[in-house]
Amino acid sequence: MRKEEVHIDPMNKTFAKVMEVFTLIGLIVMVIFGLLYLFNLSSYVDTQSAIAHWGHSASKFWEETKGVKISGYNWFLTNLNRMDCLSMLGIVILALTPFLSIVFAIPRSKGAYRGLLFILTLEFIFAILRPLIMAK
Amino acid sequence: MDPISWWVWPIILFVFTFIIGIIAPLSGVGGGVLFVPLSTAFFPFSVDFIRGAGLIMALTSALSSAPQFIKRGLANIKIMAPVVCISMVTSIIGGIVGLWITNAFPSGKYYITIALGLVLLLIFFVMATSKRIEFPEVKEVDVLSKKLGLTGAWYEPSVNKILEYKTTKLPIGILCFSVVGFIAGMFGLGAGWANVPVLNLIMGAPIKVAVATSMAVITVNDAAAAWIYMAKGAMLPLIVVPSVVGITIGARIGARLAVRAKPAFVKYLVMGIMLFAALLNVYKGLRGLGIF
Repeated sequence: MRKEEVHIDPMNKTFAKVMEVFTLIGLIVMVIFGLLYLFNLSSYVDTQSAIAHWGHSASKFWEETKGVKISGYNWFLTNLNRMDCLSMLGIVILALTPFLSIVFAIPRSKGAYRGLLFILTLEFIFAILRPLIMAK
Repeated sequence: MDPISWWVWPIILFVFTFIIGIIAPLSGVGGGVLFVPLSTAFFPFSVDFIRGAGLIMALTSALSSAPQFIKRGLANIKIMAPVVCISMVTSIIGGIVGLWITNAFPSGKYYITIALGLVLLLIFFVMATSKRIEFPEVKEVDVLSKKLGLTGAWYEPSVNKILEYKTTKLPIGILCFSVVGFIAGMFGLGAGWANVPVLNLIMGAPIKVAVATSMAVITVNDAAAAWIYMAKGAMLPLIVVPSVVGITIGARIGARLAVRAKPAFVKYLVMGIMLFAALLNVYKGLRGLGIF
């Protein structure tokens, strides 16, 4: 028996392929802009201020450093000219990767799995939109 | 003001996570399970940012390895899909509850620190007592597993054969994964320490399949919980980036070393560190509450 003879169904193959591609993109974006941030290129939260307040809870940290209350994704999406926010965009791509892998795998799935992957897609959409819908 | 220059911190984090990356594969645990409690015990960052970074570290590791496992037939979406349907929801709830506790109560971070210590004691207990079965025998398959066709095959080079497997007890597995998902979301852990025994000892997946499928489960659970942390601003690239880079490079070296040998003392060393971190977190939390 050779390993080429192992049958991997199309649903699994597509899931893996999409995951591979978007993980690479996410990692590159996160690391490159993260390093530029560490080299003190244009930042939303400057490194000195971040270190001075990173012992506080997340809500207090943002009050102290930027005077804002964070609820949703605007804090980095509206500042994409800043390196730390661009690095966050890489994290967004990574967090979207399983969702995209599931979405692309749906057309390749059969029977009950099509339903299960569809439910997972809805759950992911809920996870992403929940902070926007249920923000205080 | 912190007496240490700001640029020293990314270097400390890189070195710290690089070392964790090397020893984690040698001991058979994920990096996040060492990073979160040790950082909570020894570093000045809020537990919110530590959990956010822990989630991204676990997510990145799982995303990097899962596709390779799937292509080889070791990880199986057929097993992953039904369990994450439930565990993704509990993982989101875990993330919401975890951040709510630290941000809504003045002493919230101490409660979380104590709870993290207790979870770590549980992990220590699981590591000390659970056995791994290379090829569990599945005699009977439950109705749900049968209907979903939870079977697969992979090429095993050690015996030069394609090995087939089937899993069972899906309803119990789903129940266990829902608890594990909550813990993963609440504490920013990958939770392979719990996923693998559930898949291997309860559902009857061969150990290699259990480890690989656990990675696929982590990609979904941790990605879902990550949105909760992002929306609350509980992720700082200053902590996340050096930690992810450090653990990624360290894990590559650790994985190569693990292929050659897995010295037993490393496992006991890691278990000792975990026990120490668990007790320290409980003590730190109780002291914060004024009990000590």
